[in-house]
Amino acid sequence: MGGVQKKKFDRGAATNYITRNRARKKLQLSLADFRRLCILKGIYPHEPKHKKKVNKGSTAPRTFYLMKDIRFLLHEPIVGKFREYKIFVRKLRKAYGKSEWTGVARLKDNKPVYKLDHIIKERYPTFVDALRDVDDALSMGFLFSTFARTGKCHVQTIQLCRRLTVEWMNYIITSRALKKVFLSIKGIYYQAEVLGQTITWLVPYQFSHDHPTDVDYRVMATFTEMYTTLMGFINFRLYHSLNLVYPPKLDSKAGGSALKGEDDADYALDCESYMEKLSALSSSLARVVSSVEEEEAEADLFPVEGEDVEQMEAREKEHKEQEAQKRLFEGLKFFLNREVPRESLAFVLRCFGAAVSWEKSLCIGAAYDVTDETITHHIADRPNMEKQYINRYYIQPQWVYDSINAKICLPVEDYFIGVTLPPHLSPFVEEKEGDYVPPEKLKIMALQRGEDIVQDEEEEDDDDDDDDEEEEEEEEEEEEEEEKADEQHLKKMETQRSQGKSLSVKVTPGKVKEDDRGRLEQEEKAEEKRLAIMMMKKKEKYLYDKIMFGKKRKVREANKLTAKRKAHDDASKTDKKKKAKKQ
Amino acid sequence: MAAARRLKRVAAAQPGFMTLNTSIKPEHLVSNRRKRVNKNKKKNWNKHIDVNDVEDFLEDIRLQERTTGGLISDKTDESLFFLDAGDKKAATQTEKTGKRKASRPLKVDQILTNHSLVPVPKDILAYQVPNAKKLRSVAKKAEQLAAIGKVPKKHRPPSKVARTTKTTATDAPNNPTRDFYDIWGQESELSKETRDPWYLRQTGKAPVKRREKWNEKSSLLPAVEVIAPGGSYNPDFFSHQALLLKAHEVEVKKEKEENKILKQLAYDKDDRATEETVFQEQVEGLEEEDEEDDHDVDDGCTLGILNLVEKKTEKQRKRERLLKIKEQRRLASRYKTGQQQQLFQLRSIKVSLRQREQRTKQRQIQRRANQEAEKYRPRRLGKLKFMAQDLEVQLTNELTGSLRTLKPEGSVLKDRFKSLQKRNLIEPRERAKFKRRLKVKYVEKRSFREIT
Repeated sequence: MGGVQKKKFDRGAATNYITRNRARKKLQLSLADFRRLCILKGIYPHEPKHKKKVNKGSTAPRTFYLMKDIRFLLHEPIVGKFREYKIFVRKLRKAYGKSEWTGVARLKDNKPVYKLDHIIKERYPTFVDALRDVDDALSMGFLFSTFARTGKCHVQTIQLCRRLTVEWMNYIITSRALKKVFLSIKGIYYQAEVLGQTITWLVPYQFSHDHPTDVDYRVMATFTEMYTTLMGFINFRLYHSLNLVYPPKLDSKAGGSALKGEDDADYALDCESYMEKLSALSSSLARVVSSVEEEEAEADLFPVEGEDVEQMEAREKEHKEQEAQKRLFEGLKFFLNREVPRESLAFVLRCFGAAVSWEKSLCIGAAYDVTDETITHHIADRPNMEKQYINRYYIQPQWVYDSINAKICLPVEDYFIGVTLPPHLSPFVEEKEGDYVPPEKLKIMALQRGEDIVQDEEEEDDDDDDDDEEEEEEEEEEEEEEEKADEQHLKKMETQRSQGKSLSVKVTPGKVKEDDRGRLEQEEKAEEKRLAIMMMKKKEKYLYDKIMFGKKRKVREANKLTAKRKAHDDASKTDKKKKAKKQ
Repeated sequence: MAAARRLKRVAAAQPGFMTLNTSIKPEHLVSNRRKRVNKNKKKNWNKHIDVNDVEDFLEDIRLQERTTGGLISDKTDESLFFLDAGDKKAATQTEKTGKRKASRPLKVDQILTNHSLVPVPKDILAYQVPNAKKLRSVAKKAEQLAAIGKVPKKHRPPSKVARTTKTTATDAPNNPTRDFYDIWGQESELSKETRDPWYLRQTGKAPVKRREKWNEKSSLLPAVEVIAPGGSYNPDFFSHQALLLKAHEVEVKKEKEENKILKQLAYDKDDRATEETVFQEQVEGLEEEDEEDDHDVDDGCTLGILNLVEKKTEKQRKRERLLKIKEQRRLASRYKTGQQQQLFQLRSIKVSLRQREQRTKQRQIQRRANQEAEKYRPRRLGKLKFMAQDLEVQLTNELTGSLRTLKPEGSVLKDRFKSLQKRNLIEPRERAKFKRRLKVKYVEKRSFREIT
């Protein structure tokens, strides 16, 4: 007997957590300020494991923070700034109330302001940490930069977001880091690889905002405040890693004529025109060491221990491929028609080394006119064009995006204006073995492999396809009028050319033997496998059978889907034909 | 009286004391007779002992010290005497120039200068410090604190808050023209500030360190979740169908929930009151007599059962005890044989044990998998549960297949907001409802009323 009676809830889990309201009172902040502080400092609520122990026996859902987190927040100098700001607002209100206009002016001059630099440094101790978190920052920045200046948030924030995102896009263009693009119904997803980090961000389509009411704008603005500061520092570092001048400057040598356009005044005020030119994404940026053209430094080859020559070669090959991908559109000259999304296309095309221009009336920074004879691709998104130049392709914008995702320049004929486009596939889906792969993707994959050695199957496939297509074409030709005759001719020419090429490679006497040898090897391997299966223990055999069954099931399902697809395609084809006949 | 007389006597004893009456000699004024005084008191020593000889002696010593800088008896002969070898002074005087003459000190100053050769005693007061003891103790304590690394408040530099430079509007985080610098570089402003050893020593406080844990992600979900392939603006047929199916399932689920509530609210139609039941209800309680008879019979029965319980006889008890013991013995022997038999059941026991172990292992795996999956799930952070936004889907007839005619679906803003909630960064909340505290009273303005 004896001793002090233990009180409930003053040790253990109950003392490790603190409710939101108590935390707020401890910090002497209003709820809005508390929330802002938590967001800035990266302190988030926690769900306790045993709610009853923490919540004094009640299981009512509440917001809990960790006690240690809140104690940490107590040391933040920004808390003082928040309090100062509160006082400032009170004083200002009072001055307004008494109509002391000089007092109001004085107060406004001394408005308390806080900086977030130290928080950024604290939350992201290294640059790589910051880069890992840039996805969020970018998405938020692009989102806010598309907002209308209607008072939903500060105009300054919108401007800053615009500036930072333009800087980012310019960096991506200069470093050619873009990997994937996906046009979804929600917005455009981009993926880039920056210093080994894969970064994905979402850009909304322009002018697509209806402001939802159930979104807390204050919270979003706070996040943006933090993210803009973060992005500024990241941009600075990235620009310096490429020897670029920060804040970005346009290269005066390269685009001299574009820089000093006489009609700048038509587009924007003098103070804004520079920013506008930057955001046009049409000209390159100035470097710190401008005169020396950067030579491609070849990676030094040091064979790592335990790595074969083969692996190294594979790596080298991969590296070369990547380099080639970066120059996908190099040497091509694009012209954007009025109706296509200019910014996205300009960004994407410039990322792969193309030259881009647009109509002068559309935006500042147009490099050349429609009448330029050297234009190779004209991107338009309307059923037909009245005036067409003979020496350029008129294509729909999806060609650009699909080519980037396929990492090769896709054949142009599927994307001519007025043609029904092939589906735009998501580059973010990675099919595993045995999964269903849509035929369009298969086609693209075949095209990708076309540059490699493995050709036999595809050629057959291609031949088949071509045959089919030709038949179709013939039928269609009979039915259709002569409008598309030119196009057809072009198409045929192309197919013939490709066939010719493949034939010259294919017919070689040595191949048959190789095939035989390969088959022998295969047979041997198959035999070995069969024997191994026979030798299995009962238990292992059971497991093996199970795995094989699972695989087979997957394949079966995939086959089912393909069959379905074929049926669907056939049905749609016949439908079309019927319709055509009716017409 | 006595004091006055003593004064007179002392004065008369002084040498050179002249009396007004010349006939009387001063010697006679002081009586020759030795005055008898008790010497056992200190007071009398002062009064009656003649100390003139001692004083003279001391005076002589002082004089010696003043003039020669020490006792003459202590000096060596060489320092006291010199050999007189003519007048050198005249020779030296001839060399003197007019300038030298002018620099000779004034007589006034010469008089005022200290001629004594006794060195001036040290001015102790000049060396004394007021409150020395206290100061000493304070200093000692400060020394001790300094050894630990603390500095008293008085010597600390003005606190950091006061030192911070005034931030202006150009430093605001949303200033569109603000400058950025290399924050992760070697010598950035911030790193210097935090690494400052002097600050550390003086304040005894390191800036609060951020725990590694706070930089961890609260959810493993990616920041930007890419929409399913069916969400393409020009999707592949099957992926679009798959997405539609998903959206359909969500809708079906929602409907089910709604229906469930409706079902719970609904009542059973068979229980509805018919005319018959209403009549029954009204009539109830009017026909009682038949039922009462039944009750009587029942009561008799219960009474009979009560009466049956009787006292057991001794014989019966004995038998029961015997039976009980027998039963116990039987059970014990059965248990014993059972245990012996278990020896032969070892294999089956082993199997069952193994099965149990396997089950626990499976459960462990399952639990671990669940915990992993939990990291991808939104947690319950507040009053409200996380509600995913509606799936962005365009029906087949809404798809245009062209970028120009595309009508964007959903809102990116909402998507971002929900993503933050989904990743446990903010708790799901409801928009605060507007509550009117005071009633609104509508009054027709008088001016308006006059017109109508």
